Amino acid sequence: MLKYFKSNESILFFLLIILCIFLSFYNPQFYSIQNINSILRSSSTVMIVAFGMTILLTSGEVDLSVGALMSFVTVIVMDVINISGSLFLGFLAVFIFCLMIGLINGLVRTMLNVNSLIATLAMMLILQGSVYIYSMAAIYNTHLLPFFTFIGQGFVFKIPMPVIIMLFILPFFIFLLNYTKYGRYFTAIGSNPSSSSLSGINNNKFKILGFVITSLLVGVAGIILASLMDTGQQGSAKGFELIVIAAVLLGGTSFKGGSGTVIGTILGILILKVIDNGIILMRIPQEFQLVVPGVILILAVYFDTLRKEKNV
Amino acid sequence: MNRLYKYLNNGEVALGIIFLIIFIFFSFASEYFFSLRNIMNVSGQLSIILIASVGFAVLLIAGEVDISIGSLLAFVAIPLVQIMNHTESVMLGIIVCILFGAIIGLINGFLSIYLGISSLIVTLGMLFILRGAVYLYTGQRPISDELYSDFFFNIGNGKLFGTIPYAALVGIVILLIFIFIMKNTSYGRKLYAIGGNAEVARLAGYNIKLLKLSAFVICSVLSSVSAILLASRIGSANHVAGDLFEFQVVAAVVLGGVSLAGGIGTLTGAALGVLILAVISNGLGMLNVESQWQMVLNGIIIILAVGFDELKRRKN
Repeated sequence: MLKYFKSNESILFFLLIILCIFLSFYNPQFYSIQNINSILRSSSTVMIVAFGMTILLTSGEVDLSVGALMSFVTVIVMDVINISGSLFLGFLAVFIFCLMIGLINGLVRTMLNVNSLIATLAMMLILQGSVYIYSMAAIYNTHLLPFFTFIGQGFVFKIPMPVIIMLFILPFFIFLLNYTKYGRYFTAIGSNPSSSSLSGINNNKFKILGFVITSLLVGVAGIILASLMDTGQQGSAKGFELIVIAAVLLGGTSFKGGSGTVIGTILGILILKVIDNGIILMRIPQEFQLVVPGVILILAVYFDTLRKEKNV
Repeated sequence: MNRLYKYLNNGEVALGIIFLIIFIFFSFASEYFFSLRNIMNVSGQLSIILIASVGFAVLLIAGEVDISIGSLLAFVAIPLVQIMNHTESVMLGIIVCILFGAIIGLINGFLSIYLGISSLIVTLGMLFILRGAVYLYTGQRPISDELYSDFFFNIGNGKLFGTIPYAALVGIVILLIFIFIMKNTSYGRKLYAIGGNAEVARLAGYNIKLLKLSAFVICSVLSSVSAILLASRIGSANHVAGDLFEFQVVAAVVLGGVSLAGGIGTLTGAALGVLILAVISNGLGMLNVESQWQMVLNGIIIILAVGFDELKRRKN
């Protein structure tokens, strides 16, 4: 029982509960359906990408190009649907593009053996530059397909559509990481690459897979973002990579690989988003939305290291 | 022959040759590139990145990392400009600015080393904290320099004998000092040792914590010097200054052969990395290549350079 309470997830969960109770005392509006929906909606794109990032970090890699890729996706999806008038073609173009970028990231990491921090940093530069080569101006929604708007802005049974999309993807990742041998492989690769390779796991194959999964998830999140903004904008997801990484680390995934859970990641994101929301509700200057996550991130990882030292 | 091969296989020599090839290529490709004026302009511009890269490389060699330098660039410019505006003393502004940098370095170092939090996470947090603090203080508006002191203007814009930018001189002096420190002093060799193998260095009796702390302070202080040059160039403390600066510095330093794992690399290499990226961006600009293409090319160059380096290392 005590062990259960000491787990990283339960600590994060209590932190989240305390935050919610505190905020609801401060401003009862916190519990309005509208407010909760807005928290969940803005969390869901981060979560979708963070599932992939959790896998990557668990296997000891990182992808800094997700923000740049996401901006690119908003431009592509809007443009292709504008031209073709077909949602299917728009989505297809996005996923083919994301698949390609994920493959390149993975191959550069594994074949050229470039540290993933550098490989994906370079990819970030490439994408940030080429999105402007693709189109200098933001692309507005001229197709006016109602379903496209529905993806980001719609509701089903009063639940925002992005949240539903996230909930569709979530079980797959919980299952993958916790209940399949493949999920265990990612952890094994991250904690000790040479022993996992000696036990017959093809490390490179799984690392490439991790990059591809992350890029495809960025595709999903990018489509949602395009629908929410109703435009394709070249810099729309700038800095997104840092928020995702901060949330995943806050959720207890180690930067050195070998440990991480999807539930922890979700809690990490919810905590950051509830704090964001609280800053608005308490009428604190919005700039604190940058400061507070920074402090929380450092504190959370500090407590985590303390706990690990105790256990050793 | 064998010696020649070994010499060519040396990372810095290879980088130097790449640099020369690029330099010669642009000299022929663009009539404006190879002129004293352009070369002096580039050297003035790149010194801002060069100085921060020297500090960043020192920290990487010691086995730690600081990705908050971009936010720091914006942060420490505020006390600089505010103090100059209110006390009319440039020197006081500069001193306080560098003091702020040193304190942030101490905080980063303390949290990473003495509390044992990974420096990547500490400085990622610091990146948010400093940028947020800048937005808070400035209200997202640049704070202009209202003193209009010639001295301050000249730091970033002036030229010695009308040709050599002071900024470039500052950069070269700092680079040479730190090359000397890293190569020829026991302090520098100790930094290599703790970055290469901390356990061995500890057993050899080095004070790892203090050494690493000093590397953090060096990195932040040198970034503050970059901040002063930048503030002088743009004549204000700008809230978006240094955005993505950390990525530029990482790219240049790693291109220069400094390993992210610590203990490997030289400042000469790092400086060549900065030079190569700066010359490419200037040369492409001269050829009227749009800046978007420059970013794409930079990305490809970084991947290729680091990739070849890795392949070579595997062969050896």
